[in-house]
Amino acid sequence: MFALARLVLILFVVLTIVYVSLSLYSRAVRRDKLEAEWDEEGQSGDREAFVRDGLEDYDQSLRRKLILGVYVVPILLIGTIIYFTNYN
Amino acid sequence: MWYYIKWTIWLLLIAMIGTFLHYTLPRNDVVRITDTYEKRVDFGDNSIFWANSNTGESTEVTGRDVFFIQAFRPNGNPIIYRNEDTGWGWPPYFKFNTSNLQAHATDLQSSEDAPRWVAVKKYGWRMQYLSIYPNAISVKLVDGPDTRVIPWISISILVVLGCIWLAIWSRWRKFRAKRIDPLLDGE
Repeated sequence: MFALARLVLILFVVLTIVYVSLSLYSRAVRRDKLEAEWDEEGQSGDREAFVRDGLEDYDQSLRRKLILGVYVVPILLIGTIIYFTNYN
Repeated sequence: MWYYIKWTIWLLLIAMIGTFLHYTLPRNDVVRITDTYEKRVDFGDNSIFWANSNTGESTEVTGRDVFFIQAFRPNGNPIIYRNEDTGWGWPPYFKFNTSNLQAHATDLQSSEDAPRWVAVKKYGWRMQYLSIYPNAISVKLVDGPDTRVIPWISISILVVLGCIWLAIWSRWRKFRAKRIDPLLDGE
């Protein structure tokens, strides 16, 4: 069972790095877009607040939850490979 | 000078990645299986080219019995495969059915007079100087020695890797143009 534990541990560490990097990247892209949107439309008022509201919406969005696929996809992939290698 | 150093490093890196992928990705051979056997192998310098799968058995040992599949290519050259579990380790084939595969391979044996051609999916290299063998993943009966097996899995993996590389590369270039180059120009 040690080999499986090692695989799970390595996968968890690597995927967590990917997950955190992707989350930070995606949030930064969203922030850039919100700032660009504000500047383009030339709105008046608090730019910071507009961006913060936008990011709060983003935190609840499906798009952000889709990043969890970083964990789900490899697990499904491993299951598929095990099936096709050993039972087909 | 700097130009040559840069390109040498790039070429070395590409060669290393290419070699690694060539060893790891599955490829297909159409062969005629003549015998299957098991032989004790004591690993030495070549131990990295043998699976150390830890599928319930001890990994403390320095030698063990390994299944082999002996075959001939359509052009008459022999090719020998090992048949080992890769288990949960690298490369990620998650192969646990070594004994079953050996049974299938034994079942598909044929003679030169009445050949049965078999597509063997394998990864790895046959290298006589190091006594290393490709690891057989699956065997499948095919129509004849000219059957062409399209390696869809390898193609998909290469396409996915290419897409990931492009995605990271284009973002890195953008990042460099926006954040790093202005800093260097300012000096």
